Amino acid sequence: MLHTVLPLEDVLEGIEEEPRPTMQLMLGGVTVEAEPLGDFQARVVRVLSTDPRHFLEPHCQPGTVIHGVIV
Amino acid sequence: MYEDLEPEKVSEQEASPLQTIKELGQMGTPSSPPVEELPFHCLTIIGQIEGHMVLPPRNKTTKYEHVIPQLVAIEQNPKIKGLLVVLNTVGGDIEAGLAIAEMLKTMKTPVVSLVLGGGHSIGAPIAVAADHSVISETATMTIHPIRLSGLVIGVPQTYEYLDKMQERVIRFIVQHSRVAEDTLREMMFRTGELVRDVGTVLVGSEAVRVGLIDEVGGVGTALERLSKLVAQDRQGGVH
Repeated sequence: MLHTVLPLEDVLEGIEEEPRPTMQLMLGGVTVEAEPLGDFQARVVRVLSTDPRHFLEPHCQPGTVIHGVIV
Repeated sequence: MYEDLEPEKVSEQEASPLQTIKELGQMGTPSSPPVEELPFHCLTIIGQIEGHMVLPPRNKTTKYEHVIPQLVAIEQNPKIKGLLVVLNTVGGDIEAGLAIAEMLKTMKTPVVSLVLGGGHSIGAPIAVAADHSVISETATMTIHPIRLSGLVIGVPQTYEYLDKMQERVIRFIVQHSRVAEDTLREMMFRTGELVRDVGTVLVGSEAVRVGLIDEVGGVGTALERLSKLVAQDRQGGVH
């Protein structure tokens, strides 16, 4: 049950679309959500942490492509 | 109390996926010395608060299964002295929102909330759940009822059920802020301010005036408050 200012049609827009598959990875002790790209690569989507320092780590910035991920 | 919990083992576990990546020798891993441990952590509540239903990928969401374990971890970590909750949310699942609010409320770690941009709908109970709440000058909070039309997903709800949900939200806000119940109800059902709905939009200082939020300010104000709360906590004054 939702309590939101957004109209339902906006919230549910694209409900039929397949969500992008993402995975959670540990990069140097920081948990990130990443989108597998194939070829042992993944792109960082977001940092899942409350430690502000983790958001400063250059290798965890959203959009960074990480290599060596088994997908 | 928690220090005895074999920290070496934990860090070893954390290191193993990185080790694998390092062995492949392609990823640049941080070699610079780690930044000094910060006393305050920051939790961002952004976009839609996602609850029992996975929302379509176009929504930016805060998932409670991410947030709640993080709060548990913060509460147990003696090195984390305080938590800043930054809200910029359009609302979302009632039960997930209230769950996060209840968690924040019952934490021993001092919590300060900062409403930046927007703290609408179910964002309001989360904002007031903190020990101290701050709103930025231009941030807005929309106070409106849970709608009968359109926003019921999954279960066939009756009007009575909706009413009960509504009461849960109102009760929580009234209990944890200075806002009077009558004022809150009046704002929630006011007509003429919102185009498609009844309700009220509060901008910055208005939220403070009605007693929903404690203070107008920014990140500096919020962190300063947090430091004060930590100092009070040391003397056993906050909780």
